[in-house]
Amino acid sequence: MPVQAPFELEKLSNKEYILNMGPQHPSTHGVLRVVLKLEGELVKDVFPDVGYIHSGVEKLCENRTYPAIVPYLDRLDYLGAVNLEWAYVLAVEKLCGIQVPERAEYIRVILAELNRIMSHLLWYSAFGMDVGALTPIFYAFREREEIIALMEAATGGRLTHNALRIGGFRSDLPKDFLPGLGRFLSSFERKVDEYEALLIDNVILKARTKGVGALDPELAVSYGVTGPSLRGSGPAWDLRRTAPYSVYGKLDFRVPTSEGRDTWSRLKVRMDEMRESAKILRQAAGALPSGEVSAKTPRVLKPAPGEAYSRVESPRGEFGAWVVSDGSERPYRVKFRSPSFSNLSVLREIAVGCNIADIIAIMGSLDLVIPEIDR
Amino acid sequence: MNTSDILDDINKVPGASGAVGPDSVLDVLAPAKEVPGILTALKKSGFGHLSFVTAKDLPSENLIELVYRLFSYVSRIDASVRTRLDRGNPSAPSVSGIFRTAEWHERETAEMFGVEFSGHPCPGKLLLPDGVEAPLRKDFKHEKMTPLPVV
Amino acid sequence: MLHLLEALLYNPGVPLAGLAAKARALWAARGLPSPVLDLVFQLAIAATVSGFITVNALFIIWFDRKISALMQLRKGPNRVGPFGLLQTLADTLKLLSKEDINPLRIDPLAFWLAPLLVFIPSFAVFLVIPFGNGLIAGDLNIGILYILAISGLSVIGILSAGWGSNNKYSLIGGLRSAAQMVSYEVPMMLAILPVVMLTGSMRMGAIVDAQAGYGWFAFMQPVAFVIFLIAGNAEVNRAPFDLPEAESELVAGFNTEYSAMKFSIFFLAEYTNLFLTSAIAASLFLGGWEGPLLPPVVWFFLKTYFVITLLCWARWTFPRIRVDQLMQFSWKYLLPIALLNLLVSAAAMKLL
Repeated sequence: MPVQAPFELEKLSNKEYILNMGPQHPSTHGVLRVVLKLEGELVKDVFPDVGYIHSGVEKLCENRTYPAIVPYLDRLDYLGAVNLEWAYVLAVEKLCGIQVPERAEYIRVILAELNRIMSHLLWYSAFGMDVGALTPIFYAFREREEIIALMEAATGGRLTHNALRIGGFRSDLPKDFLPGLGRFLSSFERKVDEYEALLIDNVILKARTKGVGALDPELAVSYGVTGPSLRGSGPAWDLRRTAPYSVYGKLDFRVPTSEGRDTWSRLKVRMDEMRESAKILRQAAGALPSGEVSAKTPRVLKPAPGEAYSRVESPRGEFGAWVVSDGSERPYRVKFRSPSFSNLSVLREIAVGCNIADIIAIMGSLDLVIPEIDR
Repeated sequence: MNTSDILDDINKVPGASGAVGPDSVLDVLAPAKEVPGILTALKKSGFGHLSFVTAKDLPSENLIELVYRLFSYVSRIDASVRTRLDRGNPSAPSVSGIFRTAEWHERETAEMFGVEFSGHPCPGKLLLPDGVEAPLRKDFKHEKMTPLPVV
Repeated sequence: MLHLLEALLYNPGVPLAGLAAKARALWAARGLPSPVLDLVFQLAIAATVSGFITVNALFIIWFDRKISALMQLRKGPNRVGPFGLLQTLADTLKLLSKEDINPLRIDPLAFWLAPLLVFIPSFAVFLVIPFGNGLIAGDLNIGILYILAISGLSVIGILSAGWGSNNKYSLIGGLRSAAQMVSYEVPMMLAILPVVMLTGSMRMGAIVDAQAGYGWFAFMQPVAFVIFLIAGNAEVNRAPFDLPEAESELVAGFNTEYSAMKFSIFFLAEYTNLFLTSAIAASLFLGGWEGPLLPPVVWFFLKTYFVITLLCWARWTFPRIRVDQLMQFSWKYLLPIALLNLLVSAAAMKLL
């Protein structure tokens, strides 16, 4: 919530001034306030102020039954919704000891990777608009619309899917889902190449983002940065590879990294991730076994007392759900560890010493979604 | 460094006890003042990633239990370090010198549970508006809170 | 009758001059002072030009939106009027009906004068634009110099908009714009100089006539053409050089606090400037109103709109350039290249 930025006004030199990129701003990707201490166009200090849309979802969940919490996860990060639901559902399944059938696992992978592509396409569009390229959004949203149509057929929702259930799925994929997926994948990689050539390989964008916002990998790890923001600095930490959950262990894909450390390498990593997701989708769709899509779960879910934490690789990084159960049908404590929370905390370290325009580019490259910061 | 070496080192620390819990999570329970030392040791043995710092309110035992969740991308082991604080005056040393990510996590835990982290570089509210104190405690009351009907 | 039509279309200077001479004779016969008649003529020309500017702005905004829609897989305005042509009219009426907000603690003089200071120079440059054979409002001997001098004045307008708004975002936008416009004046001047040297005169009419003999200057001076397009783009604050009103960084830059009529004047000025840059580029480099078959006026507009299409294309494709890179580009790249071009052209002219 609004706090006074720790820049003492009396201590400002003659040339410095404070600029408030307030909660309402075209480029802060949500309700985020960033207070800048500037000298001309040079940024001397950055103070991110979060909490404008804190809704107390962790407290809310203590008063909801386990299955009823799944839609809340959608709203935390509406772009990577399926991945977030997966983290929570995995944690509860660990507590209850439920074994999900293999077909459900593969469908989860398909939906989650489609969600990842959706999220990255929207990030691409929003980033383009932030830096002044007003055209890529229309191209990327073309692909996004195709994916949304698929997700809507499978789950019933275009943005907040409410796809996963504890134990599997409520119903199987519709009959025309896999052919539609095949049609989408047949042209997708070419489109990614096109989008990369349009924006990411553009001379002006490279001049604006190369060398800007360099993030040292050790600093990033210390700040808890995960996901493409971390992989753009070098470490190939991807939970789908290092701590594979579900059937990711059986799928063959690369973890894109970049040694560049700057904003541009983070952009490149996300474009490569879209290609890898397309690869995973092909494999998962090809290897989809037949069978049940849901395990037998009791009507009223009462896990044994204990706690479980499961983490998934959401499009932004490590999302984790820590569920503490006391044996009743409502959880005792739920904690959501969101990647944007830690990714934003590193902004101060990397943004000092650049221009106002660079702040926008850096925040865009960190790919923040504010509701999951504020919860 | 494998799990048994780490456990040996931890069990040497006074008041601390470590064991491999269910789901192969390295579970450590330690007094508050030993936590920075244990975390530094764990960081040296490869647990470079602190996922979160949070707390759990146990009014029946008059305790607030702090939880630090670590992960080693090298040895792929999860570790959970817990410490119990007195509910009336919960105070713990800050670990933001060891893991910079703890700065924001500790700020959030402090305002949600009323825990005081000594040595924190920039304490202050993070998410909550003015006028709301320690909402995640079980005895938190606000005039706008209405209980949900039990289905 | 057909003769008259042909004369009007292809050589309007002649019948118009004939008409003016007849009017002068009648006037003098009545014993009335001739300066009054000159004034009436000038007012008539000014009224024509103003009418043209307004209608042209309506069209050019529609044109920009249709091009952007074409490149963005959309349709653009297509509801209001045939093909959406009256969309701008509807938008203008809407803007006029909005509340004119005056923020607290503005500097009233700076705030209220700024739109005028930005628009009047654009309006004034129309004096020397050669629309067709003999269709120049005032064919000054110092045509080019006049253009460069007057268009430099709009910097004051933007600066006063930025300062008078009592808003840090506007101030940053205004200062960026001042830096940008001043930086890009010099390469623009240096790009125009070879053309002036080749023609031997700064008169716009002479430059257009010279291209009939030499061929289009765009082929003789390709480097200068490209530099002029880039510098001209920067002068009129259009993407990729639209930092002063960088929408995603500064909300709306120097026109954040403007609403209703004042904002519409800024808007109008931006598109008028776009037309002017393209018209000057077409006249200086693409042969102006020269061309076979079609009436000169039509050629002029075809060439101008060709350049406008190029500039709109650039706007909707490229991201925005950063302010320090903008200055570097101008001073470290454009200026030396323009100077080199000037030297090489001068040497070539001397030797050949």
